[in-house]
Amino acid sequence: MSTRWYPIYQRGNPQLRVFLPNFWMKMVRPHPKQLPNIVHFQCSMEMTKYDIKNYLEKIYNIPVVDVRTKITLGRFRKDYGQGYIVKDDDVKYAYIVLPKDMTFKFPEIFDSKKNDEEENMKSLDEAKKNFSDYLEKNKDRTDVPSWFSI
Amino acid sequence: MNFSLVKNVLKYASGFCYRTKNVTSMCASSVITKGFHTTPSNSDLMEFFDIKKNWNETNIRVGRAWKLDELRIKSNVDLHKLWYILLKERNMLYTMEHECYEKVRLFPNPERIDKVQESMNNIETVIRERNIAYYKLETGETGERPVEDVVNMFGLPEKYKKQEYHIPQFMNSRWVRPYLEHGYINSLAVKKFYRLYKEKQYNETRRARNRNFNHVQHLLKRFPNMDLEKLKAEYPDVDIEKAKHTKKARGHFLPKY
Repeated sequence: MSTRWYPIYQRGNPQLRVFLPNFWMKMVRPHPKQLPNIVHFQCSMEMTKYDIKNYLEKIYNIPVVDVRTKITLGRFRKDYGQGYIVKDDDVKYAYIVLPKDMTFKFPEIFDSKKNDEEENMKSLDEAKKNFSDYLEKNKDRTDVPSWFSI
Repeated sequence: MNFSLVKNVLKYASGFCYRTKNVTSMCASSVITKGFHTTPSNSDLMEFFDIKKNWNETNIRVGRAWKLDELRIKSNVDLHKLWYILLKERNMLYTMEHECYEKVRLFPNPERIDKVQESMNNIETVIRERNIAYYKLETGETGERPVEDVVNMFGLPEKYKKQEYHIPQFMNSRWVRPYLEHGYINSLAVKKFYRLYKEKQYNETRRARNRNFNHVQHLLKRFPNMDLEKLKAEYPDVDIEKAKHTKKARGHFLPKY
């Protein structure tokens, strides 16, 4: 888009304004354990510390005391089966320091253990039922492969 | 440059935004004018997460993405606000997706991200259209980034998207040097490469031509009653009249032509 193409900054020029920022930020679980007023983010690789500070302050209205960033190298791993080398994407992390009196705890989004058990049993039952149906259907034609009919 | 138009258009667009959850579903409600509902804006870090009701859901139903025609009738201010709503929504979805991945869960309805992204692309398209219209009216040019045909280091033609530099072109000795009379681009090595490259391209087209001609001959041999118009449409560069009378096109039947 034309608005993504900025003129180069020369001294005396008006300050550059971003009208439709395309940056993304996602909050991630802090690792290792952090002070309660520090929040971890992953963000667009192009974002600078100033961008991150402005992004949070202007769009989300979050007071930011300090921003620290780091870029982690993506893993080099072998592809399963083929064996060629795959390089995962690099990730930019931003550590945001909130004011002293503000705290943030990463919420526990998935907490229900009982539900899990139930759902597992349900899917297991379903699989059992499907298999018995399949056996029933192919009782008279044991030589037909499984992919033959719908 | 065209940068200034967006500045003009969005001059009155203030930075604040509404906070809504499931933004994609808003387009459905925009048709019904009687109740425009937004949840009160809570500026908080919890905006990076979905509403609590959806946390353990396995199926989150949302509407469709914003269409181009719906966005074209919106004002620039509205588009600006909508952009930030979508931006926040996308961040929220990315956060939830990451958390699901960490906890080895299925991310419910991942197509939500695509819908938001499509809406954002559509907004960009609309803004760009307006930008071009404004520039054509004011300056007679599109205001898009200019593209120039250049010869690259291998002597091949290339599209070059122009950009700004701190010094003019002729002062940029690093850029000028390869284009000089005894520079790299006019060297024997590049000329030889270009000659061989053209030869290779020519051979490829020649082989394709011969291949098609032979194929048409064999088709005529095997199917003498074939629809010749369709054959002509399929192989436009083959001379079918010539192919009919060749030796290869004769089958075990009396020659028809």
